[in-house]
Amino acid sequence: MATVKMDPVTRIEGHLGVTMETKDITTSTGTWTVVDKAYSHTNLFRGWEIILKGRDPRDAFFLTQRICGVCPAPHGETAIQALDHAYGMTPPPAAILARNILHGAYYVYDHMIHTYLLIGPELGVLAKYPPMVPPALGKDGIKALGLGSSYAACIQMQRKANKVVALWGGKFPHHTSEYPSGMTVKPTLDRIANTISNMTELWDFVVNVMVPDFMAIVSKNDHIAETVSTLLDIDFNGLQDLGPTYGNFLSYGLFPDYNDYDKWVAVQDGEEGYRDNALIKAGAWDGDFKKFTHTKIKEYVKYSRYDDSITGRHPSQGDVKVVKDKPGAYGWMKAPRYEDKVYEVGPLARMINTYGLNWKIDVTNPVTGESFTFKWKVLNPKGSVVDRVAARVAQTVLFATKTMEWAVELKQFMHDDIVNAKIPDYSYVPDNAEGMGLWDAPRGALLHYTKIRNKKIDHYQCIVPSTWNLGPRDDMGQPGPVEKALEGTWLPKLDVPTVANALYPEKDIDASAFGLGTVSWGDALAAALTPLGLAQLNMEEGGYNTSLAITVVRSFDPCIACGVHFIIK
Amino acid sequence: MNTKVLKRKGGRLMEIKPKLTRRNFMKLAAAMGATAFLTTYKSEIVEAVEQSKDYWHINWLNGAACTGCTVSFAQASEPDLVQILTEITVGNSGLPIALPDYMETIHPASGKLAEKLKDERWVNGTPGKRVLIVEGAVQQEGFCTIAGKDFRDHLKEAAEVADAIIAVGQCATYGGIPAAKPNPTGAMGVSDFLKEVGINKPVINIPLCPVHPDHLVLTIAAIMIGAMPDLDNYGRPKAFFGKNMHDEICPYRPYYDRGVFTRRPGEEGCRYVMGCKGPITWTDCALRKWNMHTSYCVETNMCLGCSEPGWPDKFSPFYKPVASLPAVLGVDFGTLGQGLLGAAAAGIVIHGVKRAVTSGKKEEKEE
Repeated sequence: MATVKMDPVTRIEGHLGVTMETKDITTSTGTWTVVDKAYSHTNLFRGWEIILKGRDPRDAFFLTQRICGVCPAPHGETAIQALDHAYGMTPPPAAILARNILHGAYYVYDHMIHTYLLIGPELGVLAKYPPMVPPALGKDGIKALGLGSSYAACIQMQRKANKVVALWGGKFPHHTSEYPSGMTVKPTLDRIANTISNMTELWDFVVNVMVPDFMAIVSKNDHIAETVSTLLDIDFNGLQDLGPTYGNFLSYGLFPDYNDYDKWVAVQDGEEGYRDNALIKAGAWDGDFKKFTHTKIKEYVKYSRYDDSITGRHPSQGDVKVVKDKPGAYGWMKAPRYEDKVYEVGPLARMINTYGLNWKIDVTNPVTGESFTFKWKVLNPKGSVVDRVAARVAQTVLFATKTMEWAVELKQFMHDDIVNAKIPDYSYVPDNAEGMGLWDAPRGALLHYTKIRNKKIDHYQCIVPSTWNLGPRDDMGQPGPVEKALEGTWLPKLDVPTVANALYPEKDIDASAFGLGTVSWGDALAAALTPLGLAQLNMEEGGYNTSLAITVVRSFDPCIACGVHFIIK
Repeated sequence: MNTKVLKRKGGRLMEIKPKLTRRNFMKLAAAMGATAFLTTYKSEIVEAVEQSKDYWHINWLNGAACTGCTVSFAQASEPDLVQILTEITVGNSGLPIALPDYMETIHPASGKLAEKLKDERWVNGTPGKRVLIVEGAVQQEGFCTIAGKDFRDHLKEAAEVADAIIAVGQCATYGGIPAAKPNPTGAMGVSDFLKEVGINKPVINIPLCPVHPDHLVLTIAAIMIGAMPDLDNYGRPKAFFGKNMHDEICPYRPYYDRGVFTRRPGEEGCRYVMGCKGPITWTDCALRKWNMHTSYCVETNMCLGCSEPGWPDKFSPFYKPVASLPAVLGVDFGTLGQGLLGAAAAGIVIHGVKRAVTSGKKEEKEE
């Protein structure tokens, strides 16, 4: 048994380290090292909720966005949802649509960035698919080999999505335009037209580049499965065997319709529900659709750097003391649980709670009239690397289309109120109130709770997606989702080019433009990586290649800044 | 300032672009905006950096950060990240002219290799070409560790090596929200930290929350060409942070002069009464705008003042007019302002009152 560390885990948000204890398995072809147990260390603490205490309740919208600059918009939205709830007011249809447009476009950016810049490179290497590998040979490499073509296109296209966010939010990251029970930005024809034209380009990219890129990766899955199975003499089905958790999936719902808005609010009140008026449903899937209620959430701290006396509490009671050097604790995140069980949150959880295990997303571009269908059958009902990426791609298709539809629909509400008519002016804040905000960030279910006393924040609590996914073991000893997902992952004692050559031995890449002649995939990668000092990519102490393990971690799209902001009272 | 000189030659107007020198680099950059500037002077800039035998080594460290500045940097346009990384190369090497040896959020390497690239490739880069970019605040010991080492030590070691240090965003410049009351982790900006540990090197502060990508791209370009930007008392390039939002560049200023104020979401008017911090904020947001020149905070709500030291505490509650903020009317002018501030705040109150009197509307007599 060895201990293998990945610290820092890069291409995520924030400071994460993962420690893996290994075990060896011996087969007819040799002895292979796999992960036995994994521990997720979250390595930053800033104390956001302490900072919020005593401030104007509305400041939370601005300040909580700065919890995370990758997913600021959802934090802002969840803070606003909590304020809507505390104010006891419903936003008018124009505001609900404008919010949906802003966040729809934001989602397109976020899922694109993750798919291409964060998790994409390893998938591109595994599948021998140059467009998803970074453009390590520059412009010439893009031209001659297509190396990094989609990666580069993604950087250019995501800006257009954020342009739409800026149209409705002033700027991105950290937009300014949401207000309790409404918006501060007006729907104008100019904004609507600009939204539709940018989204048209994005829709085209998503349908004609992103989906085919993903399918190209999937098309190599059987080959990867066969090669690895033969090499290791094990039964390996492909990327769906990488990164399973428990088969429990939680989502809070996303993108409400202005019709039946009561169904949306009922879940904030604590009732059980699916939020049927939303595009993405709330739910607590455990093999079948289950209604969700926030009253079943508790947070545990046995292995977190907080005093044990506050373990097992609902967020509204979350009263926490930091114990920096607590024995046995190994992270700043707590361990949230639903009905005391471990739930995965994120894109896959959203898709499963909305569509089950078989998805068929039919969309029609409202501008061009083009139709497109994205189909996916979940390959591993306990979740996997490939299913999580599929969920992101599916949602990018869906949300890109919906953002355009909402923009078209908004035209009919252009001259309506953009904030609930009961708001007298900017000076109004309720004296005493509490509010629960429930939304889904790209990384998963996001909760903000605010308690207002004498027009000020008395108590603020967030439970964020990465706390669910990246948190440590709970008081019952159950590993968190990422810790569970890493168990059994192969740690080859071979470097990246060697693995690539094992998967694709044929010499069929014309690298003559780079003075190499016709070479194999691994050799081409070595040629691209070596000048950048990256020949030993993902190799850790002891000669372990952590490419697969780190891909499992990245498939959850970790966001550590989000997860580590807790309150000291 | 005028960037274009028009001369009549042979009966035709000819456009002459001013010669690019180290002295006027930032002035031109500020006046023209990143896009126009870099397009106009691309060949000069490429020429100036092309003779180099080595790329510019970037070490991008994240402390108590939200990564918003990295994401903002990815929004840079013309040149965008792809162009920076793939088009302008060191001689014929194929290596980009500037390359992060270390950048947690987007770098291919992780774990041991990531740290090794920083400790070897960056540290051993050609002297004079090692740029340190810091995102996020610096906290007391024990709140932020990377690869088992405290962020303070990472930063100290890197700062000792760095040939130029750029702090990006409100947290790295002045401490930002992590340093807001009650500052639970003892957070501070990079320059304060370096002073504390006895490293006497200039820090270029590029605040805003997050950093504006143009500001950063232009500052890196300025360093490459040897044109150190002129800095104000808070370490900010004067070219970007020398203008008062409210007094000099706000397109909503005519509303203010007419006494038309937004008091309820959705109303058109000057945002001063609802709490806009433009009057005490020095930045070029209103001119430069964000996300491919699309918009900025005031267009969709109001300015929060995130370019200034003391943010957010001295600028919040955000929905309070500037004149009613205790920090502004209190005795704390010095830290906030540039001397003019007290007068500006008083002027605003008087102005508001005057408007109220002349327009006969009582409710405009704010506070």
